[in-house]
Amino acid sequence: MVELKLSKKEEYLQRTLDKSTARTPVSEFWRKFKKQKLAFISFFFVIFLILLALIGPFIVPYDIAEPDYENVLSGPSTTHWAGTDPYGRDIFSRIVAGTQISLYVGLTSVLLGAIGGTFLGIIAGYYGKWIDRIIMRICDVLFAFPGILLAIGIIAILGPGLGNVIIAVAIFSVPVFARIVRSSTLSVKSTLYVEATKSIGAKPRRIIWKHIFPGTLSSVIVYFTMRIGSAILTAASLSFLGLGAQPPSPEWGAMLSGGRDYLNIAPHVTIFPGLAIFVTVLAFNLLGDGLRDALDPKIKD
Amino acid sequence: MFHFLIKRLLEIIPILFLVSIFIFLFVHMIPGDPARLVAGADATIEDVETVKKELGLDKPILEQYVSYITNLFQGDLGTSLKTKRPVIEEISDRFMPTFWLTFWSMVWAVAVGLLIGVISATKRNKWQDYLGMFGAVSGLSLPSFWLGLMLIQLFAVTLGWFPTGGIESWKSYILPAFTLGTGVAAVVARFTRSSLMDVLKEDYIRTGRSKGLSEHKVTWGHGLRNAMIPVVTMTGLQFGFLLGGSVVIETVFSWPGLGKLLIDSVAYRDYPVIQAEMLIFALEFILINLIVDLLYGVLNPQIRYE
Amino acid sequence: MKNAYRLLSLLALMMVLVLAGCSNNSGVKDDGEEKVAEKAAKEGKDIVIAVADNFTGMDPHDTNDTLSGSAQKTMLEGLVGFDKDMKVIPILAEEYLSNEEATEFTFKLRQNVKFHDGTPFNAEAVKVNFDRLADPNSGLKRHSLYSLIEKTEVIGEYEVKFTLSEPFGAMINTFAHPAGLIHSPKALEEFGAEVARNPVGTGPFKFVEWKPSEGLEVIKNEDYWKEGLPKVDSITFRPVSENGSRIAMLQTGEADFIFPVPTEQADSINGKNGIEIESKPSIIVRYMSMNTLKAPYDDLKVREALNYAINKEAFIKVVMNGHGNILDSIIAPDVQYYEKQDPYNFDIEKAKSLLKEAGLENGFKAKLWGGNSSSAIKAMEFIQQQLAQVNVEVEVVPMEAGTISDKIWSVQNADDAEIELYYGGWSPSTGDADWGIRPLLGGTEAYPPNSYNVSYYNNSDVNSQIQSALKTADSDKRAQAYKEAQEKTWKDAPWVFLSTDNTMAGKKNYLKGIYLLPDGSLSVTDIEIE
Repeated sequence: MVELKLSKKEEYLQRTLDKSTARTPVSEFWRKFKKQKLAFISFFFVIFLILLALIGPFIVPYDIAEPDYENVLSGPSTTHWAGTDPYGRDIFSRIVAGTQISLYVGLTSVLLGAIGGTFLGIIAGYYGKWIDRIIMRICDVLFAFPGILLAIGIIAILGPGLGNVIIAVAIFSVPVFARIVRSSTLSVKSTLYVEATKSIGAKPRRIIWKHIFPGTLSSVIVYFTMRIGSAILTAASLSFLGLGAQPPSPEWGAMLSGGRDYLNIAPHVTIFPGLAIFVTVLAFNLLGDGLRDALDPKIKD
Repeated sequence: MFHFLIKRLLEIIPILFLVSIFIFLFVHMIPGDPARLVAGADATIEDVETVKKELGLDKPILEQYVSYITNLFQGDLGTSLKTKRPVIEEISDRFMPTFWLTFWSMVWAVAVGLLIGVISATKRNKWQDYLGMFGAVSGLSLPSFWLGLMLIQLFAVTLGWFPTGGIESWKSYILPAFTLGTGVAAVVARFTRSSLMDVLKEDYIRTGRSKGLSEHKVTWGHGLRNAMIPVVTMTGLQFGFLLGGSVVIETVFSWPGLGKLLIDSVAYRDYPVIQAEMLIFALEFILINLIVDLLYGVLNPQIRYE
Repeated sequence: MKNAYRLLSLLALMMVLVLAGCSNNSGVKDDGEEKVAEKAAKEGKDIVIAVADNFTGMDPHDTNDTLSGSAQKTMLEGLVGFDKDMKVIPILAEEYLSNEEATEFTFKLRQNVKFHDGTPFNAEAVKVNFDRLADPNSGLKRHSLYSLIEKTEVIGEYEVKFTLSEPFGAMINTFAHPAGLIHSPKALEEFGAEVARNPVGTGPFKFVEWKPSEGLEVIKNEDYWKEGLPKVDSITFRPVSENGSRIAMLQTGEADFIFPVPTEQADSINGKNGIEIESKPSIIVRYMSMNTLKAPYDDLKVREALNYAINKEAFIKVVMNGHGNILDSIIAPDVQYYEKQDPYNFDIEKAKSLLKEAGLENGFKAKLWGGNSSSAIKAMEFIQQQLAQVNVEVEVVPMEAGTISDKIWSVQNADDAEIELYYGGWSPSTGDADWGIRPLLGGTEAYPPNSYNVSYYNNSDVNSQIQSALKTADSDKRAQAYKEAQEKTWKDAPWVFLSTDNTMAGKKNYLKGIYLLPDGSLSVTDIEIE
């Protein structure tokens, strides 16, 4: 309770301060974002990952495809920081070089899915009636379509390769985003200010962009960051089914799944790619939380 | 309200009809000849032709669809191409194991997820929040096959507390339900936190506080109820996903469920089984979404059913 | 920032836990060893066997997977069968004769044998079964194996004669094939196609229940015709597809016998927890076929070069973890009429100079197709690495089962075939050279979609040797024909010859009399607990 009072006091001070200084939205965002320490760190970590994705393949200490059969499955050491895989390749180098594949798959597929889903969700939630029903029932059908089957179908029809994996994962994300956005749209729509805006005759487009879309953003961002992780894992399981990245591509998920038969005898083969996925997903999630708080106009702490 | 319910229930029939066409086309579009797969690699061309005839796959696709849909309306889901058992048996063998595993996973996952979510939201940026969210993120980013195999090593092989797999007793549920629920608990926790934090900023909560209601009452009474909409949406979705069966969990724990059946059926292009399973998934999702939509109204009376 | 430190320390804690979890395993295995020394005795006489996949049916005439065959063999028996080394041995028949032309086969049957439902086993029962198999309208998956049977005659109560429509030298092996098991005629009449779920045979165990997802249960046949057998009360088969889980079951004693054991983990679990791993040569061959109709694989020099460019010792070490042997013919040593050839020893320089002679010293690009199991991907990745040494840039294309079968078998015209390199495996289920060679390398007749000749190999000498070997039951003549066929094919190198698999089983050390045959099927008739 004590803390609460304190923070309320701060909030009050902040509010009065806010009124006194005019800021651009960007600097306002930045100021709030910097306050989220963990998110801030995660932000730099994500930047680091992106850099790694760009230059990773050029800076790795070992060739990522060159086998060394005399040196298979050796544990972490000073020469091989993360040990070697069943072909004697350096796992650390492969993880570094694989950053770009995992990031690319995770980001693009979720982005495509989010754009499609948000659009459908807002339309459905805002207009309601038969539009809503049709869109939502299509989503139901898509939902009911198991992701793996969809992926197998798409890849069988379009051919194997990462691009088609992205399409499959994106399509799978669309209905999830649509549902979430629709439910936030419904609650934003029923708030007083939207009702008021409607009553003064604002155009739907304006209402959607000005009021509804920002209102749904926080759910979308939270889910977006969460989804990146699961997209990376989905791509991984597809790789394991032989439908994703083709050997010898150092895709993290493929490395992880491929090592599962060595879990008892050489756990490092799975632990390090697993850790890479784990840390990456963690960073995106924390970043998402920070963005969410910084973007939300209602939070002024 | 009643009108809404009837309307939604009636909608199910045309939807399932459309789904059946969609699924039928999709399944037949995937390359791969069931007759060849059922007959096996060392089959001769005569074998394949025999199987084809036997399975009715030599007929034109339209005729196949008509006979499929006619049988469907008579409640006949057909016969598995692979085992030649009635599809209904193949599915009913696996439905209850999947259902109960899903149910128990959801029970603990929602309970724990809500608790973590609420604690994180109320103790925002304190260690409880970080611990809770760290746990949630871990739950999301652990590959379940890895978690499952690790749990088996520790609790089944080393400690001998639980069986490694299969369904023998209530003990058999512990490890798979734990593995399956971690992801759900994580999702529920994160959504609860995020949504509750939104709601706690709303005017009526402030009003509640200013009226002198205890923080406890504000959070659990007013806040949570209003924060539940996205959480309920998400939970419903997760429930639907899990009812489809999880291939990975079922594989690791040798659980006789629907997910493994689907993958095996896809590998054999066992059309009748794939089609029946997907119709059931569709029906499950429609019903779950209906329940979720009804819950919206319970949670927030401002939402009107049109 | 304080919170960040907390988070970091949490992360560190997680890591410690993870690592502890791993090291735990190895620590515990040592404990297990001590426990097992006293635990080696088993309570009760009920055996659990964990297998990798679901059974597809209990009707041997209508299933074509080795695994289902293993289950069926616990309940049903054939006229003849295979022993440990794939030699044909009599089972329900006491002796058999054939004419010189391999068109007539006469079996003298064992007397005083009864099916589980009390029906006596006799010539009439045999006739009913093989009439069913030979009937082209039966729709049975195994019809083609027995389609040559023109008629089956009952000569006496315990004597039966088969007449074939054309000579077929490998017929005895075909009778020994797991598809030739015999149902009770009463059950066939009563259940029809439903025998697949109600098998009634003469075997050591009787059917209790089968659910595809949960497994199969069989109990002891008290009236089994072999005195004193079986020595256990029941066997339960459980499908456990995850390798790690199957091994865990064996470690905890939930399973007494498992197969297959992944080669990766075999050595690390052997000898601990009372576990014994049995790794024995099988008749499964691994090869990479090359489309001989397509450039550059139409050039023998290129095919030879690829054979020299791959280190088979390393292949067995890396891909098979040492549990395999170098393939030194087109069929494995335990297959009837196998003839050893001189291996293409690993020699990069020779490979390079052969490629140079073929005008390809700068290498070329190739596409390698194969399945998408982790072991197939592993093998293909290895091949990719090896061929990179001679500048052959291989693109590995793993495909899901349905997709690849479509790619292979939807080809109507051999010249249109898209396939280049293909990583394949083959187990000739009759144990005879015929089924190891004819479907894979038997000329135009075996081209897809008819059969599995994905290297589109067509050599008229080989074709005529295959045919002449089929037209006689004289084993010296057959041996001679297959010897020449093997030599010729080996020199033509339509494949890169890689390895033969081992059968991999794991069992508790109190089990005896249970083993895998070289064809990968299971034998449990003599199973006993020490």
